Amino acid sequence: MDSNTIIIGLAGVLVAAAPLLFAVIGETISERAGVTNLSMNGTILLSAMGGFAVAVSTDSILLGFLTGAGIGAAVALIVAVSSITLKQSQVAVGFVLALVTRDLSYFLGNPFMGLEGPRLPAWNIPLLADIPVLGPLLFQHDLMTYLSYLLVFLAWLWVFRTRPGLMLQGIGERPAAAFVRGANVNLLRYAYTVLGGALVGLAGPLYSLSVKAGWKGTISGLDGIGWIALSITIFGGWNPARAAFGAYLFALLQWLGLVLQPSMPGVPSQVLQVAPFPLMILTLLLVNIGDAEWVERTLAAMPEGTRRFFTKLLRAMRASPPAALGVPFESD
Amino acid sequence: MRARLSSLFDALLPVLATLAALAVGAVMLLFLGVNPIEAYAAMWDGAFGSGNSFAETLVKATPLLLVALGICISFRGDVINIGGEGQMIIGAILATWIGLTLTDWPGWLVITFCLLAGFVGGAVWGGIPGLLKAYFNVNEILSTVMMNAIAVQLMNFLLRGPMIDPSQAQLASKIPQTARLIEAFQLPRLAPTRLHMGALLAVALAFLVYVLLWRTTWGYRIRAVGQNPHASRYAGIQVPRYMVLALLLSGAFAGLAGAVQVFGVNYRMITDGSASGFTGSAGFNGIVAALFGQLHPIWSIPASILFGALLVGANKMQRMTQVPSALVIVLNGLVVIFVVSSEIWRRRRQRRRMAAAGHDEAPPPNVDKKPQQAEAGA
Repeated sequence: MDSNTIIIGLAGVLVAAAPLLFAVIGETISERAGVTNLSMNGTILLSAMGGFAVAVSTDSILLGFLTGAGIGAAVALIVAVSSITLKQSQVAVGFVLALVTRDLSYFLGNPFMGLEGPRLPAWNIPLLADIPVLGPLLFQHDLMTYLSYLLVFLAWLWVFRTRPGLMLQGIGERPAAAFVRGANVNLLRYAYTVLGGALVGLAGPLYSLSVKAGWKGTISGLDGIGWIALSITIFGGWNPARAAFGAYLFALLQWLGLVLQPSMPGVPSQVLQVAPFPLMILTLLLVNIGDAEWVERTLAAMPEGTRRFFTKLLRAMRASPPAALGVPFESD
Repeated sequence: MRARLSSLFDALLPVLATLAALAVGAVMLLFLGVNPIEAYAAMWDGAFGSGNSFAETLVKATPLLLVALGICISFRGDVINIGGEGQMIIGAILATWIGLTLTDWPGWLVITFCLLAGFVGGAVWGGIPGLLKAYFNVNEILSTVMMNAIAVQLMNFLLRGPMIDPSQAQLASKIPQTARLIEAFQLPRLAPTRLHMGALLAVALAFLVYVLLWRTTWGYRIRAVGQNPHASRYAGIQVPRYMVLALLLSGAFAGLAGAVQVFGVNYRMITDGSASGFTGSAGFNGIVAALFGQLHPIWSIPASILFGALLVGANKMQRMTQVPSALVIVLNGLVVIFVVSSEIWRRRRQRRRMAAAGHDEAPPPNVDKKPQQAEAGA
């Protein structure tokens, strides 16, 4: 493999990770505010289908993406109403929505199966695209991929470096304290849940209009992506930068799987299709293993130097969720 | 008196929730220009109209009930098992493989053996997330969902390769299905309908699960761990062990449901590439049936029948009134949301009542948030 192939491959990884980034950052934001949107898997499917259908019918890519964002926001609004206002279980409502939106996408998408649709055009950034190596790697993609870089940076900045971001952390960690400081906890939770849902909704059209262009119903290869995005959110420890790292790592592993397949002719194709799932289980395991009791016991029995190394390693991998995630807030 | 009325109301709540969902559905039907009374009449007719349609309802209800029994165990232990689909598939694969291999054994022995194999297959598939949760703190909602995906790909691989029907292997079409089970290995039918022994087995097991949960130490400990893991630990219960047991048993019943589907209904495994193509989403709908039955194995029996009726009836309604099938999907979703919500509402009411009655042992206000916190701790 020469360096050119590697650059093209890695550039492809950046493009393939873009929808994951939108989904993961969206989920990170709403979970930061204290609301789990478990419907992500279905939301992505429905917005992929809806965005594609609108783009095909109107021949407007912009409308396609807006539809996707709208669908994502609408589903998130249902989650918000039922969990914030009606104080229902987010897991139950989100899970049911995941199933319903998935079924709906397959059913409503039937007339659009296999149609030829518009595709998000590539757009080289002037000047930057001409830089050797970095140009083809980073700056010869489409607008949404550039936005995905920007999104990670902005989300990180917002959460950790701004005053409203501090409030966002507050309503997810200590809503009562944030309330005393004057935050309208439930209104903010609504806003962030819907905003996060809209970002998740952008992932759909980004698949159906670009990364996996078209709508092919159950064989679109999109079912399951939402669950992966959910795991990456957890792996990312509710930190946009670490979540982005997870998304890129996942896309890289998928690409490596494709590249390595020809050199492993004996391995059936399903192994590569299925590989992300055990890998995600493994990452969840690594992220959480530090909290397990027997690990603490084992660590305590280790000699000083080894223990310090492992403790540090486990602490680096560990991710703890916002303390008030999934807990409704009542101001009285 | 008031207390009795109140508890009667609680027991009827899922039914009321279903009716409320159907009422919302009726409004939607009106908007579509369909007479809701006609539509629901068709639904009733499809589910209970004749002996045959009632038998279909029961056939549909059987896997729901089996999955629901497992869900009763795991949810009582506060372990959320979303992996019913995958566990059904693995159970079915193991059972089918044995059924196709031991062709010269006596029928009753093979059937027993195969159903046990389904039980074991599901137990393994549920036990893995159980171990991961108990000893590595991996959130079981996510891991069971991932185990579903793995099971589907395993099924697709096996049905296209090693387990493909030898006659299909020679054809160009290569439909991904296994060979058909010989007649001696098929579960006996109960009437000249598709109703099979599996339905009776499921009902019998419902009573067994009741005994397990409320009359044995295992069941007591599973429920104790579900109610309060900290107190259970101080009481000397090995909490991780019972978490694993809860998920393992839950998976086992789903696996049995998968085996029963093959040996009682389809007589072979066939895949369209997705999990629901084989399971008919029973792995998910069983959760709803269990919640419907308030996580009680006996109450899960009528709950499964009712939900099976809803599924069968909705089909008929769609055929008769030409409503778009999206509406049927939405209607099912509505029922699920209403039932699940009413269950949570019931628990809140119960808590408030206990608090009002001045019980000091009233659970803390965030008791039903535990699943989310567990999820968050993933």
